[in-house]
Amino acid sequence: MAVVLVVEDDVFIRELAESMIQDWGHTILSASDVPQAMAHLRSSVPIDALFTDVYLKAEIHGGCDIARQAILMRPSLRVLYTTANRITDKLHTLFAVGTHFLPKPYTEDQLGISVRNLLAA
Amino acid sequence: MAVSDIAASDIVETVPSALLILDRNLNISSANRAFYQTFRTSPDETEGCLIYDLGNRQWDIPALRTLLESVIPHRASVEGFEVEHNFPTIGRRTMLVNARKIFRPGEHDGFILLAIEDVSEERAARKESNRNWQVTQSIVDTIRDPLVVLENDMTIVTASKAFLTMFGITQAEAYGRRVSELGQHQWDVPALRNLLDKVLPENRPIESFEIEDDFPGLGRRVFNLNARKIMQPGNHAHRMLLVFEDITDRKQRERDAELLTNEISHRIKNNLQVVVGLIAYEIKSTSAASVPGLKAMQARIGAIAQLYDLISQSSRGGSIAVDAYLNEIAKQMSASLIGDKSGIEIRVKAAPLAIDPDRAVPFGLLVNELATNAIKHAFPNGGVGHVLLAVEQVHDDIELVVSDDGIGMQGKVVQELPEKRGSDYVAIFVRQLGGTLTRPMPEGKGTTVRIRLPLLLLPAGGAAPLAA
Repeated sequence: MAVVLVVEDDVFIRELAESMIQDWGHTILSASDVPQAMAHLRSSVPIDALFTDVYLKAEIHGGCDIARQAILMRPSLRVLYTTANRITDKLHTLFAVGTHFLPKPYTEDQLGISVRNLLAA
Repeated sequence: MAVSDIAASDIVETVPSALLILDRNLNISSANRAFYQTFRTSPDETEGCLIYDLGNRQWDIPALRTLLESVIPHRASVEGFEVEHNFPTIGRRTMLVNARKIFRPGEHDGFILLAIEDVSEERAARKESNRNWQVTQSIVDTIRDPLVVLENDMTIVTASKAFLTMFGITQAEAYGRRVSELGQHQWDVPALRNLLDKVLPENRPIESFEIEDDFPGLGRRVFNLNARKIMQPGNHAHRMLLVFEDITDRKQRERDAELLTNEISHRIKNNLQVVVGLIAYEIKSTSAASVPGLKAMQARIGAIAQLYDLISQSSRGGSIAVDAYLNEIAKQMSASLIGDKSGIEIRVKAAPLAIDPDRAVPFGLLVNELATNAIKHAFPNGGVGHVLLAVEQVHDDIELVVSDDGIGMQGKVVQELPEKRGSDYVAIFVRQLGGTLTRPMPEGKGTTVRIRLPLLLLPAGGAAPLAA
């Protein structure tokens, strides 16, 4: 089973995603903004995957910034982005190479497929 | 015959310029044929006459007096002395006079040779050209958009006041410079250069080329560049008119609208995520029989949200391209096909039509219901199969066809509750769209549903599709 860092500024949406991921047997690390996420990433705790919202209130592309730094710190980290925003070509260019994406709103089944594919990649 | 054998008189009679020879007292010794023809006089009236007395004193011209009495005595020759005069016999004339003192060997006084060239027509044409140019420049200056006229080597011939203000330069500073050399060479853009290079040789106008920059006289602006070849009748030289349309305010409004649209879209979809999440919590604690209905509800909410991006673009006044719309539905549905359904492929075949944004949601939900039903009923045990979403124009109607190559109807009429409700939704959406639904028919292998809809779809080109 994997350790997944979930970064989401909406508490309800984050806790819902976390409970789903935990139901599948994975371990959860939780963050609601960039500093909290970076604190987890700088720690020695092993992290297999990052599931992050792109838009984090004050940080318009905060999730992209976290993912970019996270991959530099942990090159084997798998990344799954999500956002309620429209996916433009400009936003696509901010996604790190080899990462995955799941648009909002996602159901449990869709998140399940995305996490399974992410960890199998 | 050698050149030296040619008599001077022969040369004098041959040259096109009017020639006069005056003695030291300014009496006319002789004139050539060109003089007599140009000024409509004869040798009898001319020879021996004081030049000022010639033709009832019509040659008593102040400028000529100045030349003959004040300039010639001090110089051996004068060239290009311009004399303009209104001759009673031939009208107003502009003449270029060349004068030279001629001395024969042994003679002290000598003669004055006057060569008179009638440049009246040339001067009139030049005046007309200057007047036209002034009119053009006045028009250019009254146009609010900055514009320049370029030579075929891309140098500036003239620029409007608005253009000069924009770059903070004078007309003299603009003249002869290339557009690419203006400012800090920020207009030296290969894409623009390539377009400009084709305007004159290929007569290919530039309709719109957007460029955003900081300008000394204006600050940061966005301009739409338009360029076309201009030709002057009777003039083979071609020039280019380059107009800078200031679209800064329009661009800002578009950006503000896009920002607002994105913000609203973000909030709506986040809220829909909360709704989908609430249903997910219900699913955890509800009876197994209720789960399919709740999951179907999640899928419908997801369908609305996923289509929202396409629909929200139409809120800025455009329509939605049907093929892009159906492809988006197919993509999202395909992403949800898991387990034994993962072998099902959803295909799209759509005519180039655009959809009315007001009816995009029921149309999208209708397609979603029909495709969901096809996946569920045509392939109950999964496996490999295809679902086709097709839209085409049939006379004055639009036909939506959702077909599959699954197990077919097999005489089924009564359906379980969630599917029955799905069929109800289909009927409601069809009524909402003012269409008619044919009974699902087995056609070959599988099932085909055909729905005729009134012209809720507009021909592509009637409005700019935004969802391509």
